[in-house]
Amino acid sequence: MIISSALVFGLLISALILVAAGVSASDLFNEFVLYTLFDGQSLRAVLFQAAPLIVLGLAGALAFRARFWNLGLEGQMIWGAIAATAVSLFEIGPPSLRLVLMFIAAIIGGLMWALVPVLLKLHLKVNEIISTLMLNYIAVNFLLFLLYGSWKDPRDSFPYSPQFKSFERLPNIFDGVNLAIPIALVIALLVLWFTRISRAGLYLRFVDSSPGVAAAVGVPVQRVILLTVLFSGALAGLAGFMVSAGQEERLTHSFYLGYGFSGILIAFLARNQPIAATVVAVLVATLFVGGRSLQVYYQIPFSMVQLIQAILVICVASSDFFIRYRIRRIQSEA
Amino acid sequence: MEIISSWVGNIPDLAVPFALAALGLIVTERAGVLALGAEGLMLVGALFGVGGYLLFDSTGIALLLAMLAASGVSILFAVMVLVLRINQVIAGLALVFFCQGLTALLGILFGWASHPVSGFEAWTLWPLSELPIVGRLFIQNPVVYLTPLIFFAVAIYLNHSMSGLKLRAVGENPQAADAAGIPVLTYRFAAILAGAALIGLAGAYISVLSTKMWIEDMTGGRGWIAVALVIFARWSPWRAFAGAILFGSIEALIPQLAAAGVRLPQYFVFMTPYVVTLAVMIWVALPKRDQNKPDQKNQPDALGEPFIREERR
Repeated sequence: MIISSALVFGLLISALILVAAGVSASDLFNEFVLYTLFDGQSLRAVLFQAAPLIVLGLAGALAFRARFWNLGLEGQMIWGAIAATAVSLFEIGPPSLRLVLMFIAAIIGGLMWALVPVLLKLHLKVNEIISTLMLNYIAVNFLLFLLYGSWKDPRDSFPYSPQFKSFERLPNIFDGVNLAIPIALVIALLVLWFTRISRAGLYLRFVDSSPGVAAAVGVPVQRVILLTVLFSGALAGLAGFMVSAGQEERLTHSFYLGYGFSGILIAFLARNQPIAATVVAVLVATLFVGGRSLQVYYQIPFSMVQLIQAILVICVASSDFFIRYRIRRIQSEA
Repeated sequence: MEIISSWVGNIPDLAVPFALAALGLIVTERAGVLALGAEGLMLVGALFGVGGYLLFDSTGIALLLAMLAASGVSILFAVMVLVLRINQVIAGLALVFFCQGLTALLGILFGWASHPVSGFEAWTLWPLSELPIVGRLFIQNPVVYLTPLIFFAVAIYLNHSMSGLKLRAVGENPQAADAAGIPVLTYRFAAILAGAALIGLAGAYISVLSTKMWIEDMTGGRGWIAVALVIFARWSPWRAFAGAILFGSIEALIPQLAAAGVRLPQYFVFMTPYVVTLAVMIWVALPKRDQNKPDQKNQPDALGEPFIREERR
């Protein structure tokens, strides 16, 4: 209740900023609410956009459950996309299996890029906030190195890889919506199983509540954290595959922009719950789609979307205080 | 020879933003507030520095405005962590994302993007500027000469003044400080604002004096590098100063190597600051033989802990 009023409050502030930036209030309503949610085509665009966001939100939620600030979702996403593109470029495996191989390669790519900071954290206590962010910058520069170098599409001089062949793209299940959405939903169920039912998930809840106690009762804390963070990195890599093979149909130099932060935001707003993350991801996808049309029709920069997301985080985080405050009042009366 | 002297001459320009940002972080963190928002505050400083210059046509006012703007935005952070007691990691990250979005938006809305500014003229300190090799260290803009003085003042304040002692007490043990009658939240509030002003100055240095232009997301992770630098410096101003010079030297080396004809792939060169930061973080974390004392990291004890007077710990 308090959280939803905080969300509404945040959206109101965002709407005020948009109006101040020159969008009329009625247009705003039309653009975001009516057009985005009640038009079949843009609803498809929202679903299309939601798939990688769901997976990234789940990736964030997993890592945060292991008390690991994985701010490296972007870097892991980039490595996932690079690995998938490598499979396509070097034509590894027969065409019928190509997409599956790209899928697996993306998972391994993301996982490997998460392995570095988690090992550094577990063995040397290196702060993962800094290490994952630094690894993002390194991954971005490596991506640019590839795209301005040997992976550049030979047909024109733009910084992107040659287009994937038709069997290397995610197929459509119906017009405008491809296989990414069902994959994302399966992943959500998988994460739900992992956190709620599996043994590792049980251990993870111990570790999340109190690492010290968990270790004392014999939970393999280090292994649980390692496994969970690698899972998180693998999902981020998969999101990279979804954007490159499902949306852009090639590796581009800016495909990752905005995704890393959104993954963290979704996990935070969803309180690291897999089902809630799926729902929040669809809302954030609406924001993305609405933001793009604002960019086209009002020249409002896409960074507006990031600003709105940040405002939402601040409002929801602040609402925590009011939640706790009320609880204490009830206790003092008892 | 020429290469070495021009390398040395470029170090201050690249070291000053790291140094000032790290100093701002130290002021805030010594009061026990984890300041992850540096990257965002630097962007605010960078944007409003250029904006102030375009509006008032004065570099001095531009830098002041940048400091004020960064302090102003940091009030939001202060309210989040001091009044609402939001987890300081979340608040810091939210601040960075907020500032990234805000500055990108305002830069376009106000039309401040991609307008060149002229910055300060270099001051030549004759006769030092005639020295071989290091001569160019003394042909710099005024802020470069001011930076060691700021460091000196802050170091004196932190280590040799009553108020500085209280600030450190608040960062080490807020309960004890509170019991001794020190207004914990006031000190933390002031430390956040003062630190933000220095971080904003660091950002404005990059945009107004170094790049001489505002570009979206132009700090490129320097705020995060400064956070790492503070850990490396173990929260000591002078060690941070040395660390900033080290980072500045490495960054300044890159164009010199290219000029000397060393062929390096451009994008691997761009990676160097981040790789070096990572390496420094690992080096700091490596177990050392002479570091048996538990407080060797010198991290303020209450760093990241909210202070709630009525709550037992």
